[in-house]
Amino acid sequence: MTHGLWNLRIKVDGELIVDADPEIGYLHRGIEKICEYRRYNEVVTLMDRTCYVAGIAWEQLYIMAAEGALGLSPPARAEYIRVLSQELQRLSSHIMWYAAYVQDIGLMTPFLYGMRDRDLILDLFQSYTGARMTYEFMRVGGVRNDVPVGFTDRCRKVMDWLDQRIPEYEKVCDNSTIFLDRTKGIGILKAKECLNDGITGPMLRAAGVARDIRRDRPYSVYPELDFDIALYDEPDCYGRYRVRMEEMKQSVRIVRQVLDWLDRNPGPVLAEKVPRFVGTPSPPPGKETYVERRGYPKGRGFSSMEEPHGEAMAYIINEGAEHPYRAKLRSPVFVNIAASKDYLVGYRVSDIPAIMGSVDVCVGESDR
Amino acid sequence: MPEENPPLRPLIPGITAQFPQDVTVLPRRKDMLAVLKVTPARVAEVAKYLRDVGSFEHCALVSGVDWVDHLEVLYHLWSDSLKGYIELTVDLPSEDPHVPSVTEIWRGANWHERETWDMLGVRFDGHPDLRRVLMPEGYQFHPLRKSFELHEPEELEVKARHV
Amino acid sequence: MSDSETSGTSKIITHVREADAPEPEVPFAEIEIVQSKEFIPVVKENLTGMIQRGMEAAVKPVFNWAGRNSLFPLHWGLACCAIEFAAGFGARWDGERFGVVPRSSPRQCDLLIVNGTVTWKLSHKLITLWEQMPEPKWAIAMGNCATGGGPFRTAYSVVPGVDKLVPIDVYIAGCPPRPEAMLDGILRLERLIRERRG
Ligand code: SF4
Repeated sequence: MTHGLWNLRIKVDGELIVDADPEIGYLHRGIEKICEYRRYNEVVTLMDRTCYVAGIAWEQLYIMAAEGALGLSPPARAEYIRVLSQELQRLSSHIMWYAAYVQDIGLMTPFLYGMRDRDLILDLFQSYTGARMTYEFMRVGGVRNDVPVGFTDRCRKVMDWLDQRIPEYEKVCDNSTIFLDRTKGIGILKAKECLNDGITGPMLRAAGVARDIRRDRPYSVYPELDFDIALYDEPDCYGRYRVRMEEMKQSVRIVRQVLDWLDRNPGPVLAEKVPRFVGTPSPPPGKETYVERRGYPKGRGFSSMEEPHGEAMAYIINEGAEHPYRAKLRSPVFVNIAASKDYLVGYRVSDIPAIMGSVDVCVGESDR
Repeated sequence: MPEENPPLRPLIPGITAQFPQDVTVLPRRKDMLAVLKVTPARVAEVAKYLRDVGSFEHCALVSGVDWVDHLEVLYHLWSDSLKGYIELTVDLPSEDPHVPSVTEIWRGANWHERETWDMLGVRFDGHPDLRRVLMPEGYQFHPLRKSFELHEPEELEVKARHV
Repeated sequence: MSDSETSGTSKIITHVREADAPEPEVPFAEIEIVQSKEFIPVVKENLTGMIQRGMEAAVKPVFNWAGRNSLFPLHWGLACCAIEFAAGFGARWDGERFGVVPRSSPRQCDLLIVNGTVTWKLSHKLITLWEQMPEPKWAIAMGNCATGGGPFRTAYSVVPGVDKLVPIDVYIAGCPPRPEAMLDGILRLERLIRERRG
C-alpha cells in the first residue's frame, strides 16, 4: 500500500518489464507556495501534512532550517524532546511500512500486528502533543510543551513491549516462504547506481553504503547518543526490510537514552528570545527581549536530516518578512521513485508490488 | 577572499584556477562547506569537475528561487568523504532562462530539474526528458514564480463569473 | 470532466433518494431476526419471484437492509486521512465488525470514502472510479480536505471540496478525523440510508 496515488507506466515484453515511467503529482498540494504566505510558526501545520507518516520529522527539518535562517537556537531539553519525537516517529513509520508492505506481499497478520503496536506509539504522541498524526508540536526556538508527568515511564513500557515485538515481526517474515520468495533477489540496485541516482535512506544502506546523516553531519543532539547505522549487503527488497528492522531496534535504543536524559535534566523547552512575529502577532507590553518585527537579519537556512525514508533537506530564505521568502523541501521519496526504472527493468510484472513497496513510497512527501 | 575551510583547501584553489572567469567563491555559511557562484554557461563543467576531482558523488538537490528581477538556480552536492554539502548558485535572467543540464553527470538530478522547470520555468539544455512532473502536462503557469499569486477559491469563482 | 457527467450522476442519486418508498411490508424487526442459513435460499427465491411479478417496491426495503449493513468502501488512499482510514480497519478499531469491508475494485463497492486531498490532476480518475461503481452507491468526504480543501484550499492545484466532483452524503470533519469519527460517519450513513430510503 502506498497511501497515495501515483501512476507507473511500464512497457513489457511478455511478463518482463523493459521500460518504466513513473508519473507523480496526483497529490501535489503546492505546499512550497503556501509556505510563502504563512508566518514561520504557521508553516509547521503544513509540514505535518507533507509527510503524514513522519510528520514530526518534517516539522523538525523545517524548524532547523528556519532557525538557521533566523539565527536562533533552542534549549537543550527541547533538542532532546525533538530527538525523542524523531525516533518514535521513525518507529511508527517503519511499523506502518511493515504493516502495509507485508500485507501487500500476501501475509495478513503483519497488518494487524503492526497497526496494534503503532497505535501504542501514537498514544504516546497523543499524550504529549495532543494528536495522533498531525502534531503541530515544534516551534521556532524550541517545542510547544514539555512531556507530561509520568511520560518517561509509560514510554519505557512501550519500548520494552517493542523489544519483544520486533523479533516477532522478523519471525513472521523470515519463516514465510512466500515472503522470502517474493523479496530475495528482487529489485536489485547496486551501490554505484544508488549513488548515481541520488538514492538515500534504507535503500542506500541496504546496498552497503554507510551514509546516515545522523552520524555524518550530526544535527540536534545525535552526537551525544550512542547508536549504530543499520547496514545490509544485499541491495534487494529483503535487504531493505532487514535494514528497516535493524533501524527500529536502534531507535528503541536511542529512545531509552533520551528518556534517561530527560529524567535527569529538567529545564525550559522554548528559547527566551523568540521574535514575536514568528508566532503570535502582538508583543506583550514591556518585554524588550523580543526583537522588533522589521529589521530582523536576513539569512538563509539549510538543514538536512535522516528522515525515515531517507535524506530530507529544507532550504529557507528569510528576507526579514514575517513569512519565508522561499521554502524548498527535498523529499527522499521523490528521488527514489524517479529512479524506479533502474530497479524495475528486468523483473516481472508480478514483482512490482514487492519492489515498489520496498521503496516505502509516501506520496504526500514526494509530491508536496 | 573569504576564510577558508580546511577540508576543501586543495579543491577551492584548484577550481578557481581551472575556471578563473566562471567561479566566484562567496562568503561561507556555517551550514555549507563552501558556496560557489558559477556562470550559467559553465555549470555542467564545474559540476563534472566537482564530481570527479572533489568527490561530490551525490547531487542532493537542484532548486530555484525567483528574485523577481532574476532567477537563481541552486545545486546542493554532498560528498561522502568530506561529510558535507557544497552549494552552487547560478544567476539567470527571468525571461527565457537557460542552463545546461547536469543529468548526464548525476542521473539523480533528472527529476529535480524537471521540477524546477515545472515550478519556475527554467529550461535545462540537454535534459533527456524535460516534461512537467508535478503539474499536469499542458498547465500554463509556473507556480513558484512570484508573479503567480494564490487566491481564496471563492475569489477565483467571483472572477471567473465576471469573465 | 464535463458538466453533464456529474449532473447525470447526481440526478440518478436524487431520483433514488426521492422515490418515496412505501412502508416495508415485512417489518424490519422480523428481517433482522432472520439469521439462519437455511432461510437464505428461501428468501432469495421469494424475492426473485416478487421482482419477476413486478413488486419491486416491496422488495426494495429488503435489499436496502442488506446493503446498509454491509457497506463495502473502496480500498484506496489519497493522503493523510488514508492512514487513519487504515487504522480504522486495524486491530484497535476493527471496522469490519460493522460489516464494512474495504474492497480493491470499484465494481465491488457501494461506498466511496474520499480520504484525503483531491487535486485537479486526480479529479478525472476520481470521477472514473465513481462512475465505475454500481448503483446504488454513496460517498463520504473524510477530513477537511475532501470537505472544503482544508489547509490547502488556497493552493493552485487542489479541488476546494470534493462535492464539486461527486455527490457527497456524509461529511466528516477533522484533520485527520480520528478512526472513531470515520466509523461514526459510516454509521450515520447507514442511518441515512434507512431513513431516506427504508
Ligand atoms: S484533512 Fe488534513 S489529514 Fe486529511 S488529507 Fe487533508 S490535510 Fe491530510
